[in-house]
Amino acid sequence: MSVKTTDWFRLDNSGKIFPEVSNQRETNTFRVQVALTEEVDPDILQMATLGILDRYPMFKVRMKHGFFWNYLDYNTKPFQIQKMSHEVCSALNPRENNCYLFKVLYRNNLIAIEMFHSLADGGGVVMLLQSLVYEYLKLKGYDVSPDNIIKTKYERPVEEEYEDANSKYYNAKNRKHVPEQRAYRIKGTMLPDNLTGLISGTMNTNEILELVRSKELTMTEYFAGLMMHVIYNTQIRYRTHLKGNQAPVKIFVPVNLRKHFPSETLRNFSNFVKTNMVMSRDDITLEELFDHAKQEFKNGMTKEELIRKMSENVAFEKNVFLRFMPYFIKRYALKIGYNMLGMKLNTMSLTNIGKVVFPKSMEPYIFDVTAAVYSGKYNTVNCAILSYRDKLKISFSRSILETNMEREFFRHFTDKGIDVSIESNFVEEFV
Amino acid sequence: MKHCDKCNITIETKQQYCPLCHQVLSGTGDADKMETYPDYVSPRRMILPTTKKVIMFVSILSILILIVINWAGFDGRYWSLIPIGGILYFWLLVRIGVFSRRNIGFRFASLTVLLIAFMILIDFEGESTVHGWSIDYMMPLLLMTCNLAISTTIWIRLLDYRDYFLYLLVIIVFSIAPIVLVFTKVVTVTWPSIASFGVAIAILLFIVFFFPKSIKEEFKKRFHA
Repeated sequence: MSVKTTDWFRLDNSGKIFPEVSNQRETNTFRVQVALTEEVDPDILQMATLGILDRYPMFKVRMKHGFFWNYLDYNTKPFQIQKMSHEVCSALNPRENNCYLFKVLYRNNLIAIEMFHSLADGGGVVMLLQSLVYEYLKLKGYDVSPDNIIKTKYERPVEEEYEDANSKYYNAKNRKHVPEQRAYRIKGTMLPDNLTGLISGTMNTNEILELVRSKELTMTEYFAGLMMHVIYNTQIRYRTHLKGNQAPVKIFVPVNLRKHFPSETLRNFSNFVKTNMVMSRDDITLEELFDHAKQEFKNGMTKEELIRKMSENVAFEKNVFLRFMPYFIKRYALKIGYNMLGMKLNTMSLTNIGKVVFPKSMEPYIFDVTAAVYSGKYNTVNCAILSYRDKLKISFSRSILETNMEREFFRHFTDKGIDVSIESNFVEEFV
Repeated sequence: MKHCDKCNITIETKQQYCPLCHQVLSGTGDADKMETYPDYVSPRRMILPTTKKVIMFVSILSILILIVINWAGFDGRYWSLIPIGGILYFWLLVRIGVFSRRNIGFRFASLTVLLIAFMILIDFEGESTVHGWSIDYMMPLLLMTCNLAISTTIWIRLLDYRDYFLYLLVIIVFSIAPIVLVFTKVVTVTWPSIASFGVAIAILLFIVFFFPKSIKEEFKKRFHA
């Protein structure tokens, strides 16, 4: 049976927690953005969005309260695209957009989707964006073909796209909770009014790949190691005696589980690997950090470990006491659970969305692709990486004024003679 | 393209400084190129919160004064509860009735329950020697009105009728209360309670006969664990 547009959906495992722990500062939203080679026509984009939403009933929803859990109910109201404002990954305002849990934004040549994390993760949004851009170009009258990469509106949605894969692959026997220490927090001057700064640098994918391979690392390992080095240099080094600097630096790296389990789901299906190191020494070298990152990835990516982390979350949700607790009490339980398993345990998140592929026929119309995640009170600087053809785009979002992390990060590459071109939303001008 | 000599990066912008190190950029930008990201637009000044603050201040002050006067000249009656209830009722009426964006079924149902509660308060704390009018007449008739109001809304906005079902069902369940009071002999005038109950049963039967699937679906959604 295929999915109808009038269905309702349970929230998936990770989606259940976000509505309770999100607010204006911790928005739990993220953005994927495409720059076209020409200016975007809002009317056509609106038409394309409406067309594509019927293909994705999963996204044509609003959040509703049930007695035990929130759920996603189909939304009968029309979707409205919006002009991009200065806000990056801001909280979703239900009044603005008929209670939809994502936004489609446009500006000059940009099309962006900002999505609430309850609904999907980066993988799902990239698929939605691909379809949207395809539909847009098609309506524009260009000769583009989907080439089995893109889900077009003529396909029927299938059940597998909507499964809660976490509960499908979890193992009740392998779910040991490993207590964690609170992570080091990057300090800085908070930006007022929940503003978010965005700085992205574009580099050549092949040059970076060459550099990374010369160290026998993967790209994510390289960036994780480098990021730790940057945090060490800008934040901790020479101040190793301070009490706050004794906390381990933990970089949260989401892992797309679709690559490890046979699932085609559009919903949340990711887990994480974390680097974990107390950096209160004077003599930490970059090489040492690369080795550390490599080791952590090797340990964290084993099937047992991935299932354990997945099961740990699912077990929390499947707990009988929690399940049958009325929602108005449960929300507090969720908040406590989140503090145990959640945000304060990470220094920053480093998302590698990986390679975004468009069909050959669409490539001439697409200039580049960017991703960004929100930054909040605890994770003050976050990073999202994505590559499209020969453009590797690394985007930092930050909720603090200081830019030394970004500066040191990109200077690492320019010192090696790699060209970096920067984009910024110049959040300094806003305050 | 502009260039930062310190960071050794290139950037296309109209700004004069490097976003990474905040030093001056060299070179000239392309004048036709738009900035990648939009400029800051300061949010609209909110007029409402000031008004809200004033009304809230006056309300809280009034409540405190009422409590103090009632307590100072205490004669065994808690008369201050009635004006305090009035103030709270006003707040909830504005909050739920006017500013809430929740669906109309929810607003009807909660305002009805609130109004009934307020009426019972006036009835039993008031000066009058005649007691019981709130549960004799007000409660059943208000519940009946609410039942009819939500049903009419569903009738008119047939497109998304499922949104309102839950609240209709809640009010129908509440309509059992007057009939219970009739049987326990608390209510002396029986016809409003019986009429209200009859209307509720009629509406319930109508739903059961004509929308059985929607009811089932709505229950599944709201009570899944």
